[in-house]
Amino acid sequence: MKRKKITLWGVLYLWISEAIDKFWLWLISKIFAFLIAVFMSLQGRRMSHNNGIAGQGWLHIVDDPKFPEHPFFRKGETFPVRIRHASAAFLDDAMNCIRSISIKFSHHHLKSPFDIEMNTGVTGLFWSAASFIAFARNRQEKWGVEYVEYNRQYPEGLEGAKISVRRHATSFHNLHYYCKTPFLFIGKDQIKRYAKYRVLPADNEKESGIDLHPSDWDLSNQRILPHETRGRNFLKYEYEERVRKKEAKYRLQIQTRVAADDDDPEIFNNMVPWNEDIFPWHDLAHFHIDHTLDWKESTLTTFSLNNMPKTLGVLPAKSIYDYNSLNYMRKHSEIARKARLLSYKIWGMVPPIPDNDNRNCEEWGQ
Amino acid sequence: MEDNIQNICTECQEKTKILYKYRDGFFTPKLKGINHLEVGYSWVISNPVTIFIEYLYVVWKRIRRLIRRLSNWLFPRRPHIHAGRLDSYITGRIIHADHKETTSPIHHIKLEFWGRTKWYLGFQWRKLGETESNNYGIFHLDYTLRQARNFKTGSLRLEIHQPFEVHYNGDKPSTSHRLYHSIPLIKTNLIGMGYYVHTLALPLWEYRKDTPLPRTFHSKDSHLISEVFSQGRIDAFKQQVIPIELTKRKHMFQIEKEPGMLSIADIQADYPENLTICLEKKLPGYSRSDEWFGIRMMNGMNMGSFQPDKHDASLYHIRYFGICNYDHNTKFALPDADIVFRIDSAGPPKPVSITFTGQLNAYNNDPWQKHTYTPSSGDEWLQAKRLARVCGSVVAEVDDHFAGTHVNTEQYAIAAFRNFRKNPVTWLLYPHLKEVSVINVSADNILIHGFLPSNTALTEKGVKDRVYDAMGTQNWKGWKPMKVINDSHTYAIAENLFWDITGKFVDFFFEKYEAGIKEHWNEVYSFSNDLVNHSVAVFQSQVITDMLSTEERERSRERFEYACFRYAYDPINSVKIVDGERKVVSPITLTENFQHEEDFRNLKSACRYAIMMATFSHTWINEHQYDDLGEILYNCGGLRFGDKQRGVMAPESDLSIAPDLTRSTQMLWFTNLLSRTEYGFITKNEEQDIHPYFIQLLNENKETFAKLGVDIESIESRTNI
Repeated sequence: MKRKKITLWGVLYLWISEAIDKFWLWLISKIFAFLIAVFMSLQGRRMSHNNGIAGQGWLHIVDDPKFPEHPFFRKGETFPVRIRHASAAFLDDAMNCIRSISIKFSHHHLKSPFDIEMNTGVTGLFWSAASFIAFARNRQEKWGVEYVEYNRQYPEGLEGAKISVRRHATSFHNLHYYCKTPFLFIGKDQIKRYAKYRVLPADNEKESGIDLHPSDWDLSNQRILPHETRGRNFLKYEYEERVRKKEAKYRLQIQTRVAADDDDPEIFNNMVPWNEDIFPWHDLAHFHIDHTLDWKESTLTTFSLNNMPKTLGVLPAKSIYDYNSLNYMRKHSEIARKARLLSYKIWGMVPPIPDNDNRNCEEWGQ
Repeated sequence: MEDNIQNICTECQEKTKILYKYRDGFFTPKLKGINHLEVGYSWVISNPVTIFIEYLYVVWKRIRRLIRRLSNWLFPRRPHIHAGRLDSYITGRIIHADHKETTSPIHHIKLEFWGRTKWYLGFQWRKLGETESNNYGIFHLDYTLRQARNFKTGSLRLEIHQPFEVHYNGDKPSTSHRLYHSIPLIKTNLIGMGYYVHTLALPLWEYRKDTPLPRTFHSKDSHLISEVFSQGRIDAFKQQVIPIELTKRKHMFQIEKEPGMLSIADIQADYPENLTICLEKKLPGYSRSDEWFGIRMMNGMNMGSFQPDKHDASLYHIRYFGICNYDHNTKFALPDADIVFRIDSAGPPKPVSITFTGQLNAYNNDPWQKHTYTPSSGDEWLQAKRLARVCGSVVAEVDDHFAGTHVNTEQYAIAAFRNFRKNPVTWLLYPHLKEVSVINVSADNILIHGFLPSNTALTEKGVKDRVYDAMGTQNWKGWKPMKVINDSHTYAIAENLFWDITGKFVDFFFEKYEAGIKEHWNEVYSFSNDLVNHSVAVFQSQVITDMLSTEERERSRERFEYACFRYAYDPINSVKIVDGERKVVSPITLTENFQHEEDFRNLKSACRYAIMMATFSHTWINEHQYDDLGEILYNCGGLRFGDKQRGVMAPESDLSIAPDLTRSTQMLWFTNLLSRTEYGFITKNEEQDIHPYFIQLLNENKETFAKLGVDIESIESRTNI
């Protein structure tokens, strides 16, 4: 095989172009976070997951871990845990939405040694900062119908929507949540690995809400079904009741793979799940939620990917097209979170979602 | 004596073979283009000021062409693909725009993804990827995202290229592609993974919706043109047509200003001498003789089919069915003609009788009146032969020329251009089927809309209905050339010889490319489907016979029987029924993958037939039009009833039944136009698109053809006039 000669100019060109790419990623992340902070957070709103409910309980790292040993995930250790379930991005549980769980290893609404955010579906709706910007740009929401053009233009986005949305969810508890973009995992053996996490119900209850054969149009039409009888807050009420009656128990699982220099960039692609036969899921922890939090505390609860040990952090990204740039952007959106908490202090809390017939809306004022 | 006549005929044929030596000068009139031809005034630029402006325009066009060439040199489109890891793709589907459902894919069409650098990097083209659509029209073009979205790239576009021309380098064929359509892509829309450009419905080789005939839709959008004439064809046409166009314009001007100053004789004299005039000068009376009548009916433009008489083995019938039930005017006569010939083992056919069924004068309009004339009928016999010639010419022009070759070839052309792209049959058919669809656009205007309705008994609607019916017996399956009756039947001998040569050539081609043809059989399947599904219904199969009178039913039966005999059509071969219509064309294959050897043979037969129609069959009629329709009083598109009781049964000296001055000049203009403005011959191979083996086979038989009066140099490789 003919060797490619590297010239000084070539090295310089690569260095400059990489620097430009990184700067561009940084700039876009900052601008995006700033815009979110100004136009959404300062009005008391999250970027998307406004409609949610938080709960608290305890998390127990498994006693016989099958995953590589890690100083943070010490076997048998117990952490306080606070979670928040939400539906994105409408204020109506009966709509065709993505559902989420965010976990923090703490009972505090902000501080924690470890936070993680997950959504339903094994793949996502976008896969890089560039695609996320296109996703945001193409939302064009009206009366509960959105992303029509995005779904038409991007086959993977459409497929991701098919896999991720849960119209007929019966409970936040019986859904499967995945963090699709991998994170860093450097265990006790100091071998660099990548890790993905997921949350399942502890009792293996069958996942609800999956539409097996949605048409392309169904995915853009997120409105409630005709003759809908479920209320705007039915999922939150169901969760409150479930926790009050018997606690909500979950399993946090982890999937790891050893890093290599010549890894295909596709392994970071959140649209491509890792092969479970080669990289099986292992139980990381079991946790239970023993009480739910009120609206105010739920709204205050905030998660951040900066809340992670260095050995479990976000993977570096090189450009806005890099699959890791998604987590990079999340990490750089701290300003938006802080702006939201500030807005509560200035303007007060946003009111709870009323149980009225004002359906298919995403704004409190609508 | 016979040899002498033969020599004079040959001499006249040579003499009347007109080659225009048209010299283009600055102030000589110019023709705008082939599609600007009109039966009335074609778009000719003759005013010096306009010519000067036109000249400036031409100069501008040349400069533009120069700029384009310079641009191609400065900004070359290099084939190298700029790509690293192919991490993204563009996908979509390409379908034909004509279907009600989105189920008609454009398969195997070439797509290229191009970027252009920003101005400060010189607007250089960068090829980013290429692919082709699959059997279902779906394409998946891989590219490297960072190549498309790096800072160098200014604009992006996805291009669709259609195979356009076939070229032979020795016996190695290649297909050149032409940019058909380009879709600008917004750079920021490319974000990695897939990008779906939706379903693209393109009017590429679409079927027209405004006619039941299998005709091509030509988009008015200059960016979506399926086919254009080659430049050589346009140049040749422009040069050759100007002299006759000027002659016609002069006559039209005179008729408008001072009709009394012009006569039919003047008009005739202004056009080049044709075969019959030449003969009359050398052998007075011969062109009106029984012998000449027989020779021309056998080997002339009409190349009549001699149907054996049911009772007498030495007698044969040529039958021309006139206005029938078609929409017609009341100015011209077009009765049915049944011409009976006696044909011996040698020598030309001798006319025995001519029977007309239908109206012969303005007063008795009974469509079923019969008049029979024999050589003993005196002057009326001469008049009957003239009327029979006229009937034969109209029928040959509509049924054989326009329907039998032009439209018939076009139906194979559309199906071939829609479907053959990877299959080696592309190399076989493209050169012979090209340009027919565009010349047919002109034919619609000049012939169907212009010449025929004003010069014959048929209206435009009548012509269209007749063409539809005439197509109802045109099928590749079972077709064979005319049976040779005796040695004088030179047309049939030449037709059989050409058919054999075409067969040898097609066999050779199929043997050489058998593997490729079978590999890409799905293209054959789609070709067959398009061909059959868009073909017309079997002749008058849609007519409710119970609603016809006894006479009409009988005529319909006789016409069908004669058409089956003439076009070697066997209705048993028309097996497919689509939307309740029994389609005339037989399917070539019924399977998407190659399964049956018989299908392979079917494809061979269909290709052989299509080439035959596009080349020899069309050339014969087209070439001989000026011979048989180049003398106004000898033959024309229609004899007028006049105002006398005798109607059309009148001598040539009675100009009240001959075409009027306008129609006379139009007719000579038209026949000149068709016979004398040709380009694209097999052996000349002007565009290097004919397979050398086909040329070789023809050259090997050059002398045999010459003995039959056929100059192989003048056999067209395609139907383009």
